[in-house]
Amino acid sequence: MCNHNKERSCFEYVDSQLPRVPLELVVNGEKVYELIDPTMTLLDFLRHNLKLFGAKEGCGEGECGACTVIMNNRTVNSCLVLAVEAQGAEILTVEGLSKDGELSILQQEFIKYDALQCGFCTPGMLMSARALLDRNPNPTIEEVKEAISGNFCRCTGYESIINAVLSAAKREREELR
Amino acid sequence: MLSKFEYYKPDSLEKALSYLEENPGTRILAGGTDLMILLRRNVEICDHLLDIKGIPETRIKSYSPEEGLFIGASITVNEICEDDEIRKMFPALSEAADNLASYQIRNRATLVGNICNASPGADLAAPLLVYDAKVHVVSLKGKRVVDIKEFFTGVKQTVLEENEIVVGVTLPAVEAGDTSVYLRKSRIKGHDLCNVGLALRLTSEKKLLMAIAAVAKTPLRLTELEKSVEGKEITPELAEWISEEIKNYMSPRPNSVRSSAEYRYHIAGVLVKRGLKKLIEKEAN
Repeated sequence: MCNHNKERSCFEYVDSQLPRVPLELVVNGEKVYELIDPTMTLLDFLRHNLKLFGAKEGCGEGECGACTVIMNNRTVNSCLVLAVEAQGAEILTVEGLSKDGELSILQQEFIKYDALQCGFCTPGMLMSARALLDRNPNPTIEEVKEAISGNFCRCTGYESIINAVLSAAKREREELR
Repeated sequence: MLSKFEYYKPDSLEKALSYLEENPGTRILAGGTDLMILLRRNVEICDHLLDIKGIPETRIKSYSPEEGLFIGASITVNEICEDDEIRKMFPALSEAADNLASYQIRNRATLVGNICNASPGADLAAPLLVYDAKVHVVSLKGKRVVDIKEFFTGVKQTVLEENEIVVGVTLPAVEAGDTSVYLRKSRIKGHDLCNVGLALRLTSEKKLLMAIAAVAKTPLRLTELEKSVEGKEITPELAEWISEEIKNYMSPRPNSVRSSAEYRYHIAGVLVKRGLKKLIEKEAN
């Protein structure tokens, strides 16, 4: 039970029963067309409708970053974006990082550096890191910290995460050129 | 979420204004980083949500020596951070933008949303105040331009009427030699609201302009204090004097969760001294 609404857990997705509205977008390279509830968040849509459970709901108010996905090449807190706002958008979630069953370099480095403990923040961390490396293939430690400033790791394993991102950046520069 | 709203995203300003007129109580959605939290917490229940991001006028970010800098209502904070021209001409604005919330939030949050939300600690308010920004407001009845000094009326309150939309803000062009800084103090470095936010600007005519946020019901432009130091050279003694004098203009809440009033009084003085030093250094370079 949350503090904000005594009657109902307010972050739990509840269907508004309003008339459905059409939503067309691209998720992890695949076209999606669905009729949806206009009040659902992008996070609700990904988890509830598409059964993509990578993005998590931590705080539900943009503080923790566990719901981070990439929307039109920009990281967003998907808990603060309405699904209808993603009309025509291109969305990348953690499920879209691996190719043909092989983990991406970034994911491999997260494993190598033990950059995950409980794992709850990991999908969000990976997406923030992915967006960073896309806009800056050679980031400094400070730039990595800045890029994950909106992602909380309550196991506090930041050191390993930063090292994993720096190592992935190096490998991507060497192997993907 | 208990709100059962109709979502409407018009492609023109006219359609948006008519919708507002026809549907009282409509909430305007830009980045949604404040509004979505209120809706999800059921602090606010709304029946109509007007997404303004499809309105072409709100997508404009432009600069001309005659008109100055125009920032449309859909321009995100990160779009301001990434603009090198803005950083060169209006450094305090870029520095405040750099410090607003987290990277993801800055990808969605807008400058206009930050001032319309009218939090006393709005990071972007102080730089807009020292740059004499003008807020462009429209309704079906016509346009009006509000001076940013007149825009805030209280905690989370502005002069805006229910049927009005802010299309954007303009910052008058600056002359060569004009410089500014933004300093803030928060509990942690990173994603946190500020305890004190301070913008200082030294114009090309060596006039010192000051604005401060999170220390009163609204962000403040310190015009009286500016007058009392007009024509004076910025020395360590003057900095010391301003750092004491500024406390007379503050009225921080005694029971804030983020810091005590005493701390805010103290840190405002510290920021003034640091800021003036930085300003002088910038000017010397």
